[in-house]
Amino acid sequence: MDQIGSLLRRPSSYNNIDGTGELGGGFMSFGFVVLLWLQWHTPKDAIWHQMYLLFIWVVLMVAMIHYGTKAIKNHITYPRTGFVAYRTRNVIWLAIIAFVISALASAGLALAARSHRDIAIPVFLIGLLFAASYAFGIARAVRWKWAVVLALVLGSLVIAVLPGGLTAALSGGASVPAWFSARLAGAFLLCLTLCGALLLISGAISFWLYLRHTQAPVKEANEPADSGIL
Amino acid sequence: MNRQIRAFSEIDRVIHEPGRLMIVALLFAVDRSDFLYLQHETEMNKGTLSSHLSRLEEAGYVEVLKTYRRKVPQTLLHLTETGRKVFEQYRRKLKEAL
Repeated sequence: MDQIGSLLRRPSSYNNIDGTGELGGGFMSFGFVVLLWLQWHTPKDAIWHQMYLLFIWVVLMVAMIHYGTKAIKNHITYPRTGFVAYRTRNVIWLAIIAFVISALASAGLALAARSHRDIAIPVFLIGLLFAASYAFGIARAVRWKWAVVLALVLGSLVIAVLPGGLTAALSGGASVPAWFSARLAGAFLLCLTLCGALLLISGAISFWLYLRHTQAPVKEANEPADSGIL
Repeated sequence: MNRQIRAFSEIDRVIHEPGRLMIVALLFAVDRSDFLYLQHETEMNKGTLSSHLSRLEEAGYVEVLKTYRRKVPQTLLHLTETGRKVFEQYRRKLKEAL
C-alpha cells in the first residue's frame, strides 16, 4: 500500500523535476525584496509607494514566472521526460495551502510588531515556516534538498540573533510603516533574501542536474508514430 | 467465506498486474499525461508499456488520445471515470484483504 501511495505522490514532485518551481519561488522572493527595499529607502511621495505600482509589479512578476516556466517546460522538460496536466482540484488545494501559510506568516508578523518586544522568536518562526513549507512541498521528494531545509533553519536562527542595530539599519527606517518596527522590517527583509537566494541556488542546481541526466529521446527511423498505442 | 479471502477474490485482475497498477496509480494523480512521461516514470520499454495500455484501454479504464504538439505526434492518456472508480475500489479491497 505504501508503494501505491508513493506512486500517487510522484506526479506532484515531477512538477519541480527541472527546478522551475524553486526558480519561480526564488524570483518572486527577490522581486518582493527589491520592491520593499525601494519602498523603505525612498521618500513617502516616491513612485514606489503608489498602490498601482505594487499591482503592476506583482502582475509583471507573475507573468514572467508563468511564461518563463511554460517556455522551459515546452522546450526542455516535455520533450525529455514527458508532459503532465494536473487536476484542477489539486491546483486549488495548493493555492489554499499557500494562502494559509501566507496568512499565518502575516499574523505572526503583526503580533510581533504589536508586542514590540524581542524579535528573535518571531523571525525564527517565520524562517521555520518557510523551511517547513519547502520540506513539505519539495524536499521530501529529493534527499539532497534537506540540506536546503537545514540552511533555511540555520539562516533564520542567525538572522534572529543578529544585533538589532544591524537589522534596523537594513530597513532604512524612514518609510517603514509605523506599526512595523524597523528591526523586524530589516529581519524580515533578510529572511526573504535568504529564502529567495536558497531557492534560486537549489533551483539552478536541480535544473543543471536535470539537463545532465536527461536527454530528448531519439526517434527511431523504422518506428511509425501512430503504430499501436504509441 | 472469510471476509479477507473474499476481498482478495474480488480484486480487479486487470489493475492488479504490477505494470498496469503503476500506470493506473500515476494516471490517477493527474488529469492526463503523455506516453513519454509514463515511460520515464515506469522505466518500461515502449512495447511493454504499449501492451499494458492496450489492455487498460480495452477494459475501458484508460482513454487514449492521439494529437500533435508543435507538429510532433503525441499520445495523451487519461484515466476514465470507470478507471478511477475501479482503482479506488481496488485500494479499498486491498486494504481489507491485508
